[in-house]
Amino acid sequence: MNRKLSEKLSALFSLKIGNISPLLAEPGKIHFGSDSSNLMDDDEIADLSAEFLSLMAELLGSKNPDDRQSPEFHALEMFFASLSHKILMRGGRVEEVVRYTQLLQYTLIEALEKDSGIPFTESRSVLHYFTGVFNELIMAVFRSYLEERERVLEAQAAELRETSTPITEIWDGVLTLPIIGTLDSSRTMLVMEALLSRVAKDHAEVVVMDLTGVQNIDSQVSHHLIQIVRAVQLMGSSAIITGIQPEIARALISLNIDLTGVTTRASLSDGLKEAFRRLGIQVSHKAS
Amino acid sequence: MIPGLHLTRIGRDAFLLEPSRSLNIRDKTRLIERIAGELQQAKASCLYYDLAGLALIDPVYYAWLDALSRTMAAINVRMICIHMQPTAAFALSGFITGKPAFETALDISDVHFAGSPV
Repeated sequence: MNRKLSEKLSALFSLKIGNISPLLAEPGKIHFGSDSSNLMDDDEIADLSAEFLSLMAELLGSKNPDDRQSPEFHALEMFFASLSHKILMRGGRVEEVVRYTQLLQYTLIEALEKDSGIPFTESRSVLHYFTGVFNELIMAVFRSYLEERERVLEAQAAELRETSTPITEIWDGVLTLPIIGTLDSSRTMLVMEALLSRVAKDHAEVVVMDLTGVQNIDSQVSHHLIQIVRAVQLMGSSAIITGIQPEIARALISLNIDLTGVTTRASLSDGLKEAFRRLGIQVSHKAS
Repeated sequence: MIPGLHLTRIGRDAFLLEPSRSLNIRDKTRLIERIAGELQQAKASCLYYDLAGLALIDPVYYAWLDALSRTMAAINVRMICIHMQPTAAFALSGFITGKPAFETALDISDVHFAGSPV
């Protein structure tokens, strides 16, 4: 950055920045205020503008205001990232933050122009500088938005995984686990972890795993499945696999999966009957 | 007193074996002889091995359990491992291929289920 521009920027901000602060609150009021999305009250918007101004003043007063790696610039980026996060958490949209940032840029330039009396049309270097800075800040807003979206998607995926493997104690000491959809390795490990913990917690003597809803299975997953059965048995419980579809049965055989010692039944109902038989429970129709 | 192990009579012919942190399974030959000796002397027919405090079973520990259970079978004592932790069961199921030489049960009260064909 040339020395002339650096001095120009410092000189601009050495003017009475107190005069600019109320003007910079306007973009906040327009995009987050009570008249629009109502995401912030007036006091909060005033604080926001004051904080932005102070961070901008620190950047412009720094040794090299054009250095994107400087702590001053990083602080400004963090300010916009945290603003973006706050607005999203309050139900706002990323567009609002981007439009706010753009309007803030125009307002700041206009205010500085007015305050300094320098027409920026004659000083393109200043305009060019602010455009570069604000472009980076908009990028920070987007980065923060994407990170937040990723966090939300991960949380939703985790929730979905949990609800897609409902382990139910259908009878005292009998757990059922209907598995629906595609079993991949990470899901199988999750099932294993949840199931073994429930066996220990509920003191389950029999576990019925229903695969009626499983459409695909590969070699790794079938090994994991057998590992689940073995782990359940090692804990001292019995495992019964039910509802193996013909395609899955064929796949298991072609994958050379050893089903010795694994009890299988055609349907969940047959599996439950087997579980009750092992527990010595008799379920019969009420005598008429 | 067997070093690293607590052997307690819990019935007419049943014993509970609880390993402590100081158990040194490198010395398994001597330990197994001591356990077998005491059980024979007490005319025991069942040994419960409590795995409650064991978060992980690795091949070395499995070899110890395997050797002990085979010795117990040789002297006509049924060995049943109880309270195997989920993490230990998961680890063990990862490296053994067939059924282990010992039986397993959730608890002493569930022993009628141990070893039932599955």
